[in-house]
Amino acid sequence: MSDQWTDRLSAYLDDELSATERAAFERHLVECEECHTTLNQLGSVRTWAEGYEGLPTSEAVWVGVREGIKGGSADAKVVSIQDARPRWRRLRIAVPLALAATMALVVVGVGSWWVGRATAPRREIVVSTMPARLLTTSSQAQSLLAAERYGAAIAQLEQVLLTNGGQLDTATVRILNRNLAVIDRAIRQAREALATDPGSAYLADHFTHMMQRKLTLLRRVASAGVAAS
Amino acid sequence: MRDLESDVELTPAERDVIDVELAVTGDSQAFERLYRRHVARIHGLARWLMSRDDVEDVLQDIFIRVWEKLHTFKGEAAFATWLHRLATNVILRRRSERGTRGERFGGSELDLSRAVADRVTPGLKVDLEAAVDRLPEKAREVFVLHDMAGYKHEEIGSLLGVSSGTSRSQLHHARMALRQYLEA
Repeated sequence: MSDQWTDRLSAYLDDELSATERAAFERHLVECEECHTTLNQLGSVRTWAEGYEGLPTSEAVWVGVREGIKGGSADAKVVSIQDARPRWRRLRIAVPLALAATMALVVVGVGSWWVGRATAPRREIVVSTMPARLLTTSSQAQSLLAAERYGAAIAQLEQVLLTNGGQLDTATVRILNRNLAVIDRAIRQAREALATDPGSAYLADHFTHMMQRKLTLLRRVASAGVAAS
Repeated sequence: MRDLESDVELTPAERDVIDVELAVTGDSQAFERLYRRHVARIHGLARWLMSRDDVEDVLQDIFIRVWEKLHTFKGEAAFATWLHRLATNVILRRRSERGTRGERFGGSELDLSRAVADRVTPGLKVDLEAAVDRLPEKAREVFVLHDMAGYKHEEIGSLLGVSSGTSRSQLHHARMALRQYLEA
């Protein structure tokens, strides 16, 4: 290992050599075990740094931050979930929610089995963004964001399922459709409830979670469909 | 509802996007989630760029500044990248205001040799952390800014008042020094 090459190890690692320099360096690497070893070590150091998780931080720091941001957004109002809903409405939401959760678990299990068999790369769905800066309350922003963000991704996934759904057996499709119907019903109820009580943090949370649930379910089944096709 | 959340497959970056949008509307709970997701790494960054006595104070400044500036985050880069940039600016400005540059450790080759010799705690992470602590000041700063915070050499040169060539050289020097810990 000579200085001429040693000095280029980091540049090579960071892809900063010209094509000519890179080719020459790679020819040298084949012959020089020491450079090869050092290059791997430098790569390990860089990987460690990139993945460095940081340090535990005193809770006092957050307390100071919390104090510092108080009153920073006078129009916004965060509603406590516990205080937000009368008990009867929580129960009305909880029943379809529990049902949807149970049914979704069945399909998720089937989907996971498919994913486990998968050899094809998973198709990633990019979640879109939407500014929510003009909304009055955080609950309104949350529910509208969920509708926009997950709605776009869900539409894409439904299209994937339409294209690849033929790869799933009819029993699975039947279960999937039944569970989607349950989740859709819960989403519809949450949307209706939000229409009459748009400031409710509890309803916004519920709505967001049901959209997330649907997205998760569709992702898994779509992955299985893509893998099987 | 907790059992439903446990199965949601959002990536940390997706969670960041959602929480940023909520926090911009004044949702302090969403902001707290952002804080808890990122504070440890920002803490690590601050620890190596300034005097330890000031770290907790500057962490508070950073996150209060994040709260104030969150509406300027356009989502063109990952939130973590935006946060690192903002944090670095706050840290370097604070350091400049106080004139607290390089007060942490001596920062010489001897210090690095001592760090190697003083290795007492088993475990790669702790060893490397100790070694980064004792890197010569410039090498440590460049290493942290490049390999941890994702800055390019030209940017580092501008931030630290050195040439990009010096930045490259210091980075290589730091990595070569730190690799010794991998041999144990």
